[in-house]
Amino acid sequence: MTFYRSLLVSIIALLLGLAVLNFVTSSTLLSLFTQAIIYAVFALGIGVLLKQNGMVSFGHALYFGSAGYLMGIMLQLQWASAETLIFYTLFIITLVGLLFGLIIVRVPGVAFGMLTLAIGQMFYLTASRARGFTGGADGMNIDWPSTLFGFSVSQILKPSVIFMISWTTLIIVIFLVSCLLRSRFGAITEAVRDNEERARFIGISTLLPRAAIYSLSALISGIAGVLSALNTGFVSPENLHWSLSGMTLMMVVVGGFKVLWGPALGAVVYFMFKDILGDYATHWMTIFGVVLIAVIVFSPTGIAGAIVGLMSGKPSVGNKPAQGH
Amino acid sequence: MLTINLFNGLVYGALLIIMCSGLALIYGLRRVVNFAHGSLYMMGAYLGYTIAFNSNFWVALVAAPAIMACLGVLLDRYGFRLLQDRDPLTVVLVTFGLLLVIEDMVQTIWGKSNLSVAAPQALAFSVDLAGTPVPAYRIGVIVVGFCVAVGLTLWLRYSKIGLFVRAASTDPVTTSMQGVNTDLLSAGVVGLGTALAGLAGVVAAPFLSLSPSMSADVIIDSFVVVVIGGLGSLAGAFIAAMLLGMVQAIGAVYLPDTAVLLPFVFMVFILIWKPSGFAGSRT
Repeated sequence: MTFYRSLLVSIIALLLGLAVLNFVTSSTLLSLFTQAIIYAVFALGIGVLLKQNGMVSFGHALYFGSAGYLMGIMLQLQWASAETLIFYTLFIITLVGLLFGLIIVRVPGVAFGMLTLAIGQMFYLTASRARGFTGGADGMNIDWPSTLFGFSVSQILKPSVIFMISWTTLIIVIFLVSCLLRSRFGAITEAVRDNEERARFIGISTLLPRAAIYSLSALISGIAGVLSALNTGFVSPENLHWSLSGMTLMMVVVGGFKVLWGPALGAVVYFMFKDILGDYATHWMTIFGVVLIAVIVFSPTGIAGAIVGLMSGKPSVGNKPAQGH
Repeated sequence: MLTINLFNGLVYGALLIIMCSGLALIYGLRRVVNFAHGSLYMMGAYLGYTIAFNSNFWVALVAAPAIMACLGVLLDRYGFRLLQDRDPLTVVLVTFGLLLVIEDMVQTIWGKSNLSVAAPQALAFSVDLAGTPVPAYRIGVIVVGFCVAVGLTLWLRYSKIGLFVRAASTDPVTTSMQGVNTDLLSAGVVGLGTALAGLAGVVAAPFLSLSPSMSADVIIDSFVVVVIGGLGSLAGAFIAAMLLGMVQAIGAVYLPDTAVLLPFVFMVFILIWKPSGFAGSRT
């Protein structure tokens, strides 16, 4: 897709969001959509890592939850205005992602997934024990000021407004990431993903691009974390737990990670599905476990892969999941 | 204080050895990191609870791993074997789906509340260890861990099947060309690995309480162990398991607040020093 085409698609998508607002009047449905969109941003973070690095993270809730905690703690300490703190939070998340990335992307293949799980769980344990800072297992409320970027927070938290904010964020993030991946940087990371040895052979340093993608995916997850903190005004150790990482990873796989909008689609499908399930939701783990296995075995490129395949009229492009190392 | 902690570190290390030898065996032959291994351990523990409740602990110690072994064979036949040509990450995600299913199943059958299993009567006494009384059952756990480590090592090194397993781990295609039925071998090894997860569950039941979160706690430590030890390496896993147990034990004495974080700090340092673990990854 060229730059102009993705710009056009993004603008159409934004208008589509407005159209949704026109048709959906029920505020419960709208807040369900909002939640789905926030998780779509989170899923996009995990998806970028999988698409561009071929690495599966089981611990990205680390960045999702930490963003909430950082916001909460820094707002409590009143270090700066809330607007500045949002940027601080995202900056810290990116930096931490880069540092962790430099250490753990060196670990090959499946071991990487196991490490992300372990590191994520370490932060979960820390947050649930550090009662003074984080409120321990009870979680903490986030004291947003009464105005944010010149708008009153009660205005922002109206279902339709927060929906539009989340939707716009999602579209902008997808647009920016797609621009970034079309650049030289995108080409380099793809080369490193597909054949690290050969990439090194032609003079590309392979560690930094990998770590940079990891850091980017941390940043996107962090953005989702801030949105979630704004939406719920609350953060708890559950936001750091591995099961959250796992569920989001599942959205990514079910949606399909070969295209950028796949993970987002997966998140929306997941929330709609969970809502329809309703009473059976106590057994959602079994249901989603079976769905996950079925999708991976029978359609590794997910729903998005199937759609792309249908639209192009041939079997989905690159019907192979990311290469392990 | 230090003695009892070191002793408990040894006990936990022994438990991790039983867990991780199963993970390492399955990885060695099938190149699969089984994310459901912790859930299988939990299932073993709960099965052991039911069997011990209806008969006694010693029956549970044999029967629960046996049932798990059958499940493991089926898992290999209808799971790993069908997926053996797929990308390793695909299989990892399948085992993750399996984890969700097993966790839900266990919660549905046995409920979410904590359960406990009494240590068997024959081992319900204390032994004096350098002035501190320690429960005999825990010494039993160390013995079981030791037996598993030594038994597996001897079996792999000196038996004919052990030779086949080592050969198939190195090169499955050539091994099957030499006339070894690698599918049968894999089914057996996955069965054995799963039985070891079940055994770890039964052994852990009397000194750790049974709860739905027990699988997450142990699988994360196990992953740290197998990554530090080098994926698929038994000897590496044994050393790493004992080290991790000790690190936690000593940490509990000197750094009580941050002891839970020590395994991870330990892991980060090992991986900066040696990215593929003690034994080197055999991918």
